[in-house]
Amino acid sequence: MRLFPPFLDNDIFPLTIKNTLLQSCYLRNTEWACGVAVYTGNQTKLGMCRGIAEPKLTAVDAMVDKLTGAIFVFQIVVVIVLGIAGNVFKDKVGRKLWYVQYPKEGPWYELLVIPLRFELLCSIMIPISIKVSLDLAKSLYAKFIDWDVEMVDPETGIRSNAANQAISEDLGQVEYILTDKTGTLTENQMIFKRCCISGRFYGNESGDALTDAQLLNAVSTGSADVILFLKVMAICNTVIPVRSKSGTISYKALSQDEEALVCAAARLRMVLENKNGNILDINLNASPLRYEVLDTLEFTSDRKRMSVVVRECQSGELFILSKGADETILPLTYSGQQVRTFAEAVEQYAQMGLRTLCLAWRKLEEDEYQEWTSMFKEANSTLVDRERRVAEVCQRLERDFEILGVAAIEDRLQEGVPETIETLRKAGINFWMLTGDKMSTAIQIALSCNFVSPEPKGQLLIIDGKTEDEVCRSLERVLLTTRITESESKQDVAFVVDGWALEIALKHYRKPFTELAILSRTAICCRVTPSQKAQLVELLKLCDYRTLAIGDGGNDVRMIQQADIGVGISGREGLQAARAADYSIGKFRFLKRLILVHGRYSYNRTAFLSQYSFYKSLLICFIQIFFSFISGVSGTSLFNTVSLMAYNVFYTSVPVLFSVLDKDLSERTVMQHPQILFDCQSGRLLNPSTFAGWFGRSLFHAIVVFVITIHSYAFEKSEMEEVAMVVVSGCIWLQAFVVALETNSFTIFQHLAIWGNLVAFYAINWIVSSIPTSGMYTTMFRLCEQPSYWITMILIVATGMCPVLALKYLRYTYRPSRINILQQLERLGGPIQSSGIIEPKSRSSLDTDSVHEPLLSESPSATRRSVGPAQRSDSFRSQSPPDSTHTRKDN
Amino acid sequence: MNSGTPSSSAAGAGSADSTAPRRNSKRPKYSRFTQQELPACKPILTPKWVIGTFLLVSVIFIPIGVVSLFASRDVVEIVDRYETDCIPEALRNDKVGFIQSNQNKTCQRTLRVPKNMKQPIYVYYQLDNFYQNHRRYVKSRSDQQLRNNGSLQDTSPCKPEDNTASGPIVPCGLIAWSLFNDTYGFTRNNQQLNVNKRDISWKSDREHKFGKNVFPRNFQNGTLKGGATLKPDVPLSEQEDLIVWMRTAALPTFRKLYGKIEVDLQRDDVINVTLENNYNTYSFSGKKKLVLSTTSWLGGKNDFVGIAYLTVGGLCFFLALVFLLIYLIKPRQLGDPSYLSWNRNPSGH
Repeated sequence: MRLFPPFLDNDIFPLTIKNTLLQSCYLRNTEWACGVAVYTGNQTKLGMCRGIAEPKLTAVDAMVDKLTGAIFVFQIVVVIVLGIAGNVFKDKVGRKLWYVQYPKEGPWYELLVIPLRFELLCSIMIPISIKVSLDLAKSLYAKFIDWDVEMVDPETGIRSNAANQAISEDLGQVEYILTDKTGTLTENQMIFKRCCISGRFYGNESGDALTDAQLLNAVSTGSADVILFLKVMAICNTVIPVRSKSGTISYKALSQDEEALVCAAARLRMVLENKNGNILDINLNASPLRYEVLDTLEFTSDRKRMSVVVRECQSGELFILSKGADETILPLTYSGQQVRTFAEAVEQYAQMGLRTLCLAWRKLEEDEYQEWTSMFKEANSTLVDRERRVAEVCQRLERDFEILGVAAIEDRLQEGVPETIETLRKAGINFWMLTGDKMSTAIQIALSCNFVSPEPKGQLLIIDGKTEDEVCRSLERVLLTTRITESESKQDVAFVVDGWALEIALKHYRKPFTELAILSRTAICCRVTPSQKAQLVELLKLCDYRTLAIGDGGNDVRMIQQADIGVGISGREGLQAARAADYSIGKFRFLKRLILVHGRYSYNRTAFLSQYSFYKSLLICFIQIFFSFISGVSGTSLFNTVSLMAYNVFYTSVPVLFSVLDKDLSERTVMQHPQILFDCQSGRLLNPSTFAGWFGRSLFHAIVVFVITIHSYAFEKSEMEEVAMVVVSGCIWLQAFVVALETNSFTIFQHLAIWGNLVAFYAINWIVSSIPTSGMYTTMFRLCEQPSYWITMILIVATGMCPVLALKYLRYTYRPSRINILQQLERLGGPIQSSGIIEPKSRSSLDTDSVHEPLLSESPSATRRSVGPAQRSDSFRSQSPPDSTHTRKDN
Repeated sequence: MNSGTPSSSAAGAGSADSTAPRRNSKRPKYSRFTQQELPACKPILTPKWVIGTFLLVSVIFIPIGVVSLFASRDVVEIVDRYETDCIPEALRNDKVGFIQSNQNKTCQRTLRVPKNMKQPIYVYYQLDNFYQNHRRYVKSRSDQQLRNNGSLQDTSPCKPEDNTASGPIVPCGLIAWSLFNDTYGFTRNNQQLNVNKRDISWKSDREHKFGKNVFPRNFQNGTLKGGATLKPDVPLSEQEDLIVWMRTAALPTFRKLYGKIEVDLQRDDVINVTLENNYNTYSFSGKKKLVLSTTSWLGGKNDFVGIAYLTVGGLCFFLALVFLLIYLIKPRQLGDPSYLSWNRNPSGH
């Protein structure tokens, strides 16, 4: 709160949100502030916004849970069947085995003993190690993201960060990306580019008004309109100039637009030099001017304009200077002024993706001001409905404006945005742009960053309307069109909806809107609020799509928290989004690498790791089950506890952990063929049928190991410890070869892990075998001396692996998956650049050009028009004739 | 008006023009590991490799199979099943009654040697349908007690054969209690064939698992009579029949070493076996067999390994041929981009 002396005892001073210092604000231009603490702790904005961050569960984890459930059911069935079989065997046969001495009458729980023993034996069927392995793997995935040098913002040095370590796999399965516009797709670095002053366009030729010779000329000759325009730019704002010790002036502003305007004015020799209290010093062409700011009519999102009332100190004249959105300023002109040129200018600039501001002014009479200012003060001090009252009072002064001109500010696209979107769209990811900006700007940005394919393929369908009926009709029409195009051809349809229509659609027409959301690959939602962003995420999540929300500002936080994956850009708007997000990156273009490289690898690796964990547990469990059939179904464990524990925790967990280094395809290949992400999105590597394959493999391997062992170690060799060790080593050998066969790229670590593990297995067992008190004393030495042991091992490996290899080879060669084909392409040095790739490359380079020079971009984006509001009634599918309001283009 | 320098402008901390990094995060250190760029070998399944592998496997396996089969065939084995024949025909209706009675159970068997047998000739008894791997059975032993004279009382796992009225049983447990007690005596041409019963157990068992100063106590003194008795003045480490028996078998059909005959047997030798048929396998219809066998580098007579090797080798050869034929008849270019689905319909998804 800033109060200026003199303090009057009975003066009423309004307290508004303006006088509040929010949590984690920077105190500026003052050394101290005193106040009263209100809304603390959980009542702070931060606390209220935090919500309950739901723990996020990846689709892979959900699938693993489902499979675990299935295995649990299987386990129960096995236990029940074996338990019954065991009891039957006990009664039919067991009681005759005199050497077992079954008591004639057992305790009441006798029937439960055998099932419970089998439950113990089968409890290893569900691998406990999977949780540990997956957690280790996931934390490494996150580390890889943190470490990635290619995802470090070269300008700021901000590196990517995975705050949530658990959801890397979901990155590879993203189906919808909901992105903010400002600061996410764009730099959020406002630059004054063009202007239109009293009907004259500046900056159209050079693309930069600041270097436009005509404008510079006008300034130096002192053209009244231009000077006034610059004055509004310099005065009508809340910018604070800061003079550094060396004398240069820098500006601190809340709004980047204002900063851009003030800077531009300074470049055009209208320098805002100093602001001391209410007094402004301006320097025009080296001649000083002084103004006193009497009142500031604040910007609110409803008013969409701000004004200041100033007194020129020399002449004492009063002015109101105003700037704001065209739709709020243009209607306020004095009767008789031609606003058409300005409306056209606004339209033209908006089509280039520029943000426009209309500047206006009016001279005030002293008594008019005095009358108004008391009303203003009173309105400001009301306790009820203050905002509306203030707005009403402001409206009284903001009238009969003379429009000075239109300023256009460019918010440049971030580097690499079109390519990133193009690639990710090719990877089958649907993009939704959710922005608070106006529709035309949003559409323009969407076009320039490849949101929609160029004209013949792409179409924009607009849903709008003010009333329920209008929205309903509009929505139905768009839905119909989308259905037709979806079924007939591969047209690329996008719908555009604004916040108001969205509100109605979500409220009353949720079903058709949901259908549209599913059908359409692209959507542009403009003028949406943060809560609407979150609602849209919710809508997509309800349809079982995996969503990724990316944004940079505080208004994206809810959407980021709501989405399956939240990505924050550590941008100019602070770190709120980055803090709330699961991943924070420096630039939008890193999203490509995050998804295609890190997400995809994570998914592939986890898919293998989890299924393998089940495979090895099932393998050992099946053997226990088979053994129970030859041990009188009594629940004897073939293995001693040491072997069992070491098997799960050590021998079979360590080698597979190194599959986190596995890369099925090189990063380059993935980037060139982003379509390969389909396999991850549709979950092709981890689903019940792939799991059935692993289940079958473990069953087959269990049979191989068991049958071979009991036949080659029959009769005089059938000593229990020996047979157990033969079986365990058979399993370990098979494991090593299974991991090796499923590994796509062997680094030194994988070799070490796979083959070193085998060596470690023997080393450990030799050590255990040399301890006299251990159960398996000397067993392993005896085995390793026997040729039949080694012959059995070779037999097990060959019998177990040959069919697997044969099947894999046949599938690999004659029914290759897409990954296989790309592997073959990549590794045989074939032509990696396939025909589908060359074309978009050239196109994207063209687009890059058009991004740097939006004005020069010719037809594809500029002439292409959507079904405008004027004629939505017919022929959606044909290239609709240019809409009257949208295509006037005069450069 | 120039009221001095603005006090706390805190450049860079604000929201507006800060191009300066908000977070001075260090650039991550570059290493091939962190960038996942470790050099890797990326093998793929080319026909050459796969067919080559299968051929190699078959080339290795078939000879091993032949050698194993020969080794197994070289082993001479005499198997004599005697559990029914050793019961007088009149009593075969009640075999269990016979075996539990106190009648004379001596039984004469005649074996003919089919081929020359080189010494040592191993004498095994084979039990079928005997679940030494039954859970109640395997657990019922006390390794502590067997090893250590001080652990006499350590009989907790041995139930129900743990204690008698006069103290703990040594060796306790069902395994020891059910010790096999058939005995065999061999004569050839009315000459005694000596059966060496030393060193038939594992050396490590004799030295470390069964104590030299642990002597049987209260063994087979209980109400229920099990199998063989033990000489009370011989330490457990020298009770080799017990040591062999205590190495439980993993399979319900197993052979255990009874002794070694250390003379060569000639073809067509006739061997008379005098056996005491004491052990009760009749309650559970188990078989008893007497086995005389030589040995080879692979162990006893077991055709399984040889046949399995020949089968796997043959199958691999067959697979290699099939793959080769398919490869020659219908060659398929690896990595043909036209098989990529998105190249097939250019409009993509």
